[in-house]
Amino acid sequence: MAVTAATAALASGPSPQRRAGLGPWFALAPMLGWLLLFVIVPTLMLIVVSFSERDSLGRVIYSFNIENYLRAFDWKWLKILGISVWYAFLTTVICLILGYPVAYFIGRSSERVRGLLIMLVMIPFWTSFLIRTYAWISILSQEGLLNALLMTLNITSAPIGFMYTPFAVVLGLVYNFLPFMILPIYTSVEKLDGSLIEAAYDLGARPARVFGQIVLPLTKPGIAAGILLVFVPAIAMFAITTLMGGGANPTIGEVIQNQFTKARNQPFGAALGVLLLAIFLFSLWLSTKFRRGEED
Amino acid sequence: MKKQHTKLMAAACAGALLLAGCGKKDDTLKLFCWSEYVPQAVIDKFTEETGIKVSVENYASNEEMLAKLLAGGGAYDLIQPSEYTIQAMTKEGLLQELDQEKIPNLKNIAPEFRNLPYDPGNKYSIPWMAGFVGIVYNAETVTTPIVGFTDVFKPEHAGRIVILDDSREIVSWALATAGIPVNDVSDQNLATITPMLKDWLSKVKVYDSDSPKTAMSNGDTDLGVVWSGEGALLFAENPKFQWVMPAEGVHMFVDNLAIPKTAQNKDKAEAFMNFILRPDISKMISDEFPYYNPNAEARKLLSAEQLNNPASYPPGFDVTKAELFTDIGEQASKVDELITTIKVQ
Amino acid sequence: MTDALTPVPPAKRWWLPPGPAVQRAFFGGWTITVFAFLYIPILLLVVYSFNDSKLNLYWAGFTTKWYTLLFGNEVLLRAFRNSLIVAGASTVLAVFIGTTAAWLLYRYRFPAQQTLGLLIFIPMVMPEVLMGVSLLVLFVTLGIPLGYTTLIIAHTTFCFPFVLVGVQARLQGLDPALEEAAQDLGATPFKAFWMVIVPYLMPAIVAGALMSFTLSFDEYIVTIFTSGAESQTLPLKVYGMVRVGLNPQLNALSTLFIAATAVLVIASQFFTRKKTT
Repeated sequence: MAVTAATAALASGPSPQRRAGLGPWFALAPMLGWLLLFVIVPTLMLIVVSFSERDSLGRVIYSFNIENYLRAFDWKWLKILGISVWYAFLTTVICLILGYPVAYFIGRSSERVRGLLIMLVMIPFWTSFLIRTYAWISILSQEGLLNALLMTLNITSAPIGFMYTPFAVVLGLVYNFLPFMILPIYTSVEKLDGSLIEAAYDLGARPARVFGQIVLPLTKPGIAAGILLVFVPAIAMFAITTLMGGGANPTIGEVIQNQFTKARNQPFGAALGVLLLAIFLFSLWLSTKFRRGEED
Repeated sequence: MKKQHTKLMAAACAGALLLAGCGKKDDTLKLFCWSEYVPQAVIDKFTEETGIKVSVENYASNEEMLAKLLAGGGAYDLIQPSEYTIQAMTKEGLLQELDQEKIPNLKNIAPEFRNLPYDPGNKYSIPWMAGFVGIVYNAETVTTPIVGFTDVFKPEHAGRIVILDDSREIVSWALATAGIPVNDVSDQNLATITPMLKDWLSKVKVYDSDSPKTAMSNGDTDLGVVWSGEGALLFAENPKFQWVMPAEGVHMFVDNLAIPKTAQNKDKAEAFMNFILRPDISKMISDEFPYYNPNAEARKLLSAEQLNNPASYPPGFDVTKAELFTDIGEQASKVDELITTIKVQ
Repeated sequence: MTDALTPVPPAKRWWLPPGPAVQRAFFGGWTITVFAFLYIPILLLVVYSFNDSKLNLYWAGFTTKWYTLLFGNEVLLRAFRNSLIVAGASTVLAVFIGTTAAWLLYRYRFPAQQTLGLLIFIPMVMPEVLMGVSLLVLFVTLGIPLGYTTLIIAHTTFCFPFVLVGVQARLQGLDPALEEAAQDLGATPFKAFWMVIVPYLMPAIVAGALMSFTLSFDEYIVTIFTSGAESQTLPLKVYGMVRVGLNPQLNALSTLFIAATAVLVIASQFFTRKKTT
């Protein structure tokens, strides 16, 4: 799976590790403290809530029962989870295909142009997500720009329903996650030694070969990072999927969100969230274990 | 250049943290309301006339407000709950009783809004704006007569419908069509309406509670079961969007102002309530948000155009006949699960 | 460092096109297409900021009234300023925590290293509503009043893993000789880090900073649960606007922001150029 390969690629690589002395421990303390207080404690709270019940108002009654987890193992939630994972997977693949050449081009450009281009990649995303998405809706809708263009050019005679389809969902997701694929790959490309590539050409290698055997392997860490930074958050996404997809195919993010709002069932939402986290962390752990085993 | 940036940012950071640490002015009125529902002009005018400063926090749904309130976030003086939330909160004793002597302008509210089932006698809340859930359709593309839900969910309209993404609402329409009271969401009644819901939802293209007007305006759908505010905006944009009150039964919602138990400035909150009940102020609200204004005196000040918007003030509709939601407590979860299941199948 | 424009001797096989030039054209064309894809909705947004209609659906005539209204809209401007402050502070913190943590994890062997590596991912995959509510409960329990502090803490928490992952990737290709050389010349580990490693990591740090800022600037769910009255950010105002139609003043605001940033970036490029000549 994409994620496991990505983490494996990141975890590998030679690193001259030394035993941590007092100094490094001290330096790591802020992050440890942060993780402990603002990540682990909330996660633990979540686990506690997931085993609780709620009253009619939706307030949590702390207790211990596994009803929420039992309820979660129902085909409909699993189907929803499956759909979310599928969307995330598609998004990651398309982002990779679209984004890699861009990252390569920017990374291999002259130093001055590089900085400018990489900023230009980001700037569209400093507008409000809602305005951007509604702009897409007005482009893709039946009376929108794309259909108007297609009909004016006589490519189609009737408007096509682009909106509220899986196509629209994936487009929305790809649009929002593309920079998160481009940036990490760019940092890998940026440190490529041009002379290495030039030498390969001098020796008569064809572009495809140079690419496949030299460039791609050297940029593997960047690709791995990009995959992680897109695939992982994409699974829990909900706002874009609802807006572009029309809500007919709820995602796991939407369902969890709903539990905290309309359904007034925080414990069940927490249980689903914990399961999501568990699945992800488990597959990560498996991948590093697998990799370690391989190295031995 | 990076170093300079860092220094600047650090300075801004420190400054912000200092400000945050500064003692909070406790005599500010803390308003927790919908993002677009209280015109800034109204707030400014209140401060101008009374000298009371107002700090505003926003939310985009009742449940978000409730979740934050229950989790202990912020001692708000005023909140803006819908009718079923008021009922749920009073049951748990989360609202303060109003001192009606401080709110004499309450008399401006039309009598049909003075004794609503969720808060008889306005003990805990004053009505802000009312609205309905009804049907909007594009008269240019829909030529068959539309009088109710059954007409909307006809086979010829499959794939051209937008409805609210609200399980409680959707279920209530099915209940009304089946002749069952909308608040009677027992498991048995839910089972009765499930086939109807399956049939209906298979024809829906878009679910949207935030801005269903988008799908209608963009031509992606021809019919919608939406909030009256959305219908009013569509009608004002283009009269081809006709509004119909469903024959099977209409649900009315009422948004209100209320004072939570943890409020620290009750008298200032009541002053604000009294302020917005003034006809001229209430008119300001109506000018910006075309919902049904429960303030009879304010309605006298509205323009003919405003009063003629069929989604804001449905002609010939008897408001006392509209059904209001009551709190259904834990059944909310079952209702949500039913709709999710049908969507996923 | 050579770039792809340096002339290359003619290909040994005449029937092959000269590698780098064709490659550059291909990648260049691809990049332009993707940039077009990225900027199309932005262009639309800018155009609608001059549109004489409240609902951004069709063209109704040219006007600059949204810009004039924007300058009088204190609420919106204040929210925008808050977003900048919070995003800026969160980015600084996230970069600091993420970079140092990535380096330390790479360089030194800590017990339970693997577990640490996994825990870092939690904020990335935890649904925002879960993080928002649990952080709110945490802050309330600890008695921290909701405001800039809590908001920045919350934002930093989900931002720093993005920086960390990016820096980790860059570290994979680090030549250990680099650090050794610095230490041979008498530098302490800290100095070696600062003078040698950080410049090497700079592209990853910048990339991480850009991602953090973007994530924080537009964050709604976590913000709603962890902010106070004075720290209301732009998304909080914007998300509630959908019901009555997104105000074109937002378009005006976005247009100005984009224009300002673009001008800043281009100007800074010219500035650095002048310095080297």
